[in-house]
Amino acid sequence: MENFQRASILLTLNEELRRAGSWAGETHMQKAAFFLQELMNVTLDFDFILYKHGPFSFDLRDELTFMRAQGFLRLEPQYPYGPTLIGGEKSELLKQAFRQAIEKHLPKIRFVSQKLSNKTVAELERTATALYIRLREPAEVDRVERLRSLKPHIALPEAQAAVLEVEQITRDASSMRVSTGPLGLVG
Amino acid sequence: MEVASRIYDVVTNPQNINHDSIREFIPCAKGDKLGHEYWRRVLRCASLCHDLGHLPFSHAAEDLLPEGWNHERLSQEIIMGKEFEPLWKELKVQPEDVVKLALGKKKCKLEFSDWETILSEIIVGDVFGADRIDYLLRDSYHAGVSYGRFDHYRLIDTLRILPVSLKDSQEPGLGVERGGLESAEALLWARYFMYTQLYFHPTRRIYDIHLMEFLKEWLPEGRFPTEVDRHIGCSDNEVTAGMWKAAADASERGHALAKRIISREHFRQIYEPSSSDQLRVLRPGKHVYDGLVAQFGNDEVRRDAYAQKGGSYDFPVYTKAGYIDSSLALSQTLSKVPTFSVDRVYVSIAIRDEAERWVEKNRERIITEAIGEEH
Repeated sequence: MENFQRASILLTLNEELRRAGSWAGETHMQKAAFFLQELMNVTLDFDFILYKHGPFSFDLRDELTFMRAQGFLRLEPQYPYGPTLIGGEKSELLKQAFRQAIEKHLPKIRFVSQKLSNKTVAELERTATALYIRLREPAEVDRVERLRSLKPHIALPEAQAAVLEVEQITRDASSMRVSTGPLGLVG
Repeated sequence: MEVASRIYDVVTNPQNINHDSIREFIPCAKGDKLGHEYWRRVLRCASLCHDLGHLPFSHAAEDLLPEGWNHERLSQEIIMGKEFEPLWKELKVQPEDVVKLALGKKKCKLEFSDWETILSEIIVGDVFGADRIDYLLRDSYHAGVSYGRFDHYRLIDTLRILPVSLKDSQEPGLGVERGGLESAEALLWARYFMYTQLYFHPTRRIYDIHLMEFLKEWLPEGRFPTEVDRHIGCSDNEVTAGMWKAAADASERGHALAKRIISREHFRQIYEPSSSDQLRVLRPGKHVYDGLVAQFGNDEVRRDAYAQKGGSYDFPVYTKAGYIDSSLALSQTLSKVPTFSVDRVYVSIAIRDEAERWVEKNRERIITEAIGEEH
């Protein structure tokens, strides 16, 4: 995807996260983009690995910095939670240029935003890592056990809840995909 | 290696470990002296080996490696290669551990423990990596500028491994004690000034482009070799000597491109977007570049577009009251360090005057038309 079009999707994701009540810091953007790409099949071309608080993409981190450099996003310190990302001075210009792509992906972006916006970083870490295991590891793997082996600080009830929640989100996403049809990228 | 070792000694000093969750994974904090010494050795080896895969003139011509290769992969090949096997045996270190710490999680696909992640950040970390601390100070010294200097001794003395509890998570990260925050600010501003004043100086950047053009013509098949012995045999010295030879002899491959560099006949910057142009279109530099190419041809025009990479300067700070806060919440200045980008257009000396007149006459039309195209 061309950088500017991808940036327009990420900008919209940031706006929708904030609209749904998230403080939309970088961790929220990382995990929400992971769900958008891996669960909702929006091709963002980010390579996610398990790193900071679960699935993490260095390319996405670079992309968010690129967006700040371009004036599409800016950082605003948000005491006591750390910085939030909000639209920059050129965010409207970007949205106007990629209106169609944004409209096409908006239902999926809203779906992800609503599912993740109210989560703390620790909750995001559990849920996103549970999805990572579901998508990347063999089906026969005990997901709760695997989650706890990857993140030993996650307690058993929390790990169980995260795995169950991911199952529910996946079911909701499937029914949503059926109702809206497949969403590829605007060419 | 010296900077990385200093950081290791500070952050693993039991007196500097303030949280139980951190003690759990630091060998010496658990009384594991052998583990402590082992990882110190690995870290020092990894620091030395970190840049082994760099090409002549560092990053300038990395695009001339074959598909799927970069300097990190070359570093890995060298560390894991047969030539180094006896060395690792003598030092009693596992080469895989050296690779992990030298490359970090971004470039190494092996699985990392929290401890290995922290150690790799000591070398390649975005904010406090020894590589960055070292190259800012070194480049500043060798370029004869003061921008890159900061109190790295004070900074290193205050570095700590901290839980990022601010974010409701137990994950550890590299941070500073409150007393080192100003030194951290100085480091990050130094980095900004080095990028704007030195690394991305317009004339220095155009020489990267000219160097790459020369190498593409001069190197066999236009590519750098990836075999270890041939890689080691192609350093700055070989390229510089080859460039002088090519510049002096019209029959040599790459003669005109070498002469351009040796005779300082570099392209001159002709356009950099004004703040007004930047606010009106997404890619003003590209539109002006396309216009110039249409008017004067590909050979006479170059464009350099780049935006800063890496993350924000958000790291944990251990306050005197014993709690952890975000650097961006505590610092009045870190959130204001600009994010750096360039978008410049250059033309050859031969068409410079004519091109300047052309840009002056056509810039407004190009930008106005671009507004229509982008929307």
